[in-house]
Amino acid sequence: MAWNKPLPQIDRDMEPFWDALKRHEFVLFRCQECGAWYWPAAFCRNHPNKPLFGSLAWEKASGKGKIFAFNIHYRAFHPGFANDIPYVYALIDLDEGPMFGTRITGCDPKEVHIGLPVEVVYEDITDKYTLPYFQPSKVGAR
Amino acid sequence: MAAFRDRFAIVGIGRTKVGHLPNYSARLLQAEAARLAIEDAGLKPQDIDGAVNVKGEGGGGPSGGWTDAFPRVLGLPANVYFHVGRGGASAVLGLATAVKFLELGICKYMVIAFGSDGLTRHRQGGGQEETGRPGLWGAPLGDLAAVSHHSFFASRHMHEYGTTSRQLGAISVSERRWACGNPDAYMYGRPITIEDHQNSPYVAYPYHLLDICLVSDGGSAFVLTTAERAKDCAQRPVYTMGLGYGDVMAKLWWDKANYTQLAVAPAKATAFKEAGIELKDVDVAQLYDCFTSEVLFQLEDYGWCPKGEGGHFVEAWNIAPGGTIPVNTGGGLIASHHHGDFTGFLEAVTQLRGEGGARQVKDAEIAMVTGHGGEVIRPGMCSHHACLLLRRG
Ligand SMILES: [Zn+2]
Repeated sequence: MAWNKPLPQIDRDMEPFWDALKRHEFVLFRCQECGAWYWPAAFCRNHPNKPLFGSLAWEKASGKGKIFAFNIHYRAFHPGFANDIPYVYALIDLDEGPMFGTRITGCDPKEVHIGLPVEVVYEDITDKYTLPYFQPSKVGAR
Repeated sequence: MAAFRDRFAIVGIGRTKVGHLPNYSARLLQAEAARLAIEDAGLKPQDIDGAVNVKGEGGGGPSGGWTDAFPRVLGLPANVYFHVGRGGASAVLGLATAVKFLELGICKYMVIAFGSDGLTRHRQGGGQEETGRPGLWGAPLGDLAAVSHHSFFASRHMHEYGTTSRQLGAISVSERRWACGNPDAYMYGRPITIEDHQNSPYVAYPYHLLDICLVSDGGSAFVLTTAERAKDCAQRPVYTMGLGYGDVMAKLWWDKANYTQLAVAPAKATAFKEAGIELKDVDVAQLYDCFTSEVLFQLEDYGWCPKGEGGHFVEAWNIAPGGTIPVNTGGGLIASHHHGDFTGFLEAVTQLRGEGGARQVKDAEIAMVTGHGGEVIRPGMCSHHACLLLRRG
């Protein structure tokens, strides 16, 4: 079915993140000097930076984390979600440190709980965009 | 902070009807509120030489805002006109910015005004539904409304401290009780119980419908001047005491404590130091209440109860009429109307003027108003907190 939900509105600084999703890669912004991870794009907090994000680069990350907080939507605030409710939207504590908000798929909403290990799963929604949903991690995959 | 305490005064307030007002533009409602505030102060439009347009977003908003403005509609001879906004911390920001123009002698009387057609737009299919500014995170993923991410606060507090939905319901019931003493409140005459809260549908679990603020059309405004000039105005002045700010945007993706607290600490420290008072001196508190958890967090963060014990505090009816600290005495955003922090701001002035009618807190001398807002990329949510202390003249 054609995509009938909102499309991503991509900020220029975040284009490499969305480009990586199209390749089915989950990348985070990493400091090349001290190894700290960031999402969304930011200057490194740990030391002086080279100009214009020169100290950082997008690097492949684990795509894994744990549910930190979540909700279950019983109302579709956009008509495209009418057949999806109830659905889970969650805040994920990524293994690398940053927090990441996305939809949880691949399980019954009632199975979702804080602390649940989750991993990225890619959904190609149009030729131009891929979304990073997360789903419960496969047993033994961690 | 230098020279804020007792230096400025709110001398007039104005508010239109609230609720569903589909026949008026937001700008006209804003102009009407400003007109009422100027009249309330015993001033004439010709006296107003500064005007501040308080918006949800500073400088942004519908393009009509750029080609027309409420001072033009009202005919105000304002030498200064500008927009400010920081989500629900905007009335306080309007006051904070206006102060400088009074202090420098550029302006004598400033009107700070807000207008909303949010409910009309919501019923036409707009309103809370957001689909896209560049960089907006989450809409394709289902993060479509404030509740889509603000409910993370409730989720975390329940997990860490065992807070229950019934306890959050006590906040909603308390505010409804206050609203039932306020004939201007949208929910006036419609009391609820905890069971009503529990039986209201889930919008986004753990939030029921009755955990969530209203959306309201209408306008709100106030007139600010110097303490010296205030003596000649028609109303009993309400004086500024203290002002403070906090923001946690730089730490939102790392500091997990920021999902069970607001940026209260620096705001409280600055405001109370300038005011020279302690928390126990506050007679009435207007705490920003876009959702029930924001109230719970502020009760803990300001220190009315220890961290994690907000649930027990509210279920003992401490914030309801007759409780130990009157909170959101007009019904707040949850039970009266949503004009951002203007809702609490105008209620604070009403209480300090002793004009609260059936809901008047006896001998209310000092009031606190808080603002909460921000536009940081989700899941960052509202990172911003403002604290304003006022006293009666
Ligand atoms: Zn670094």
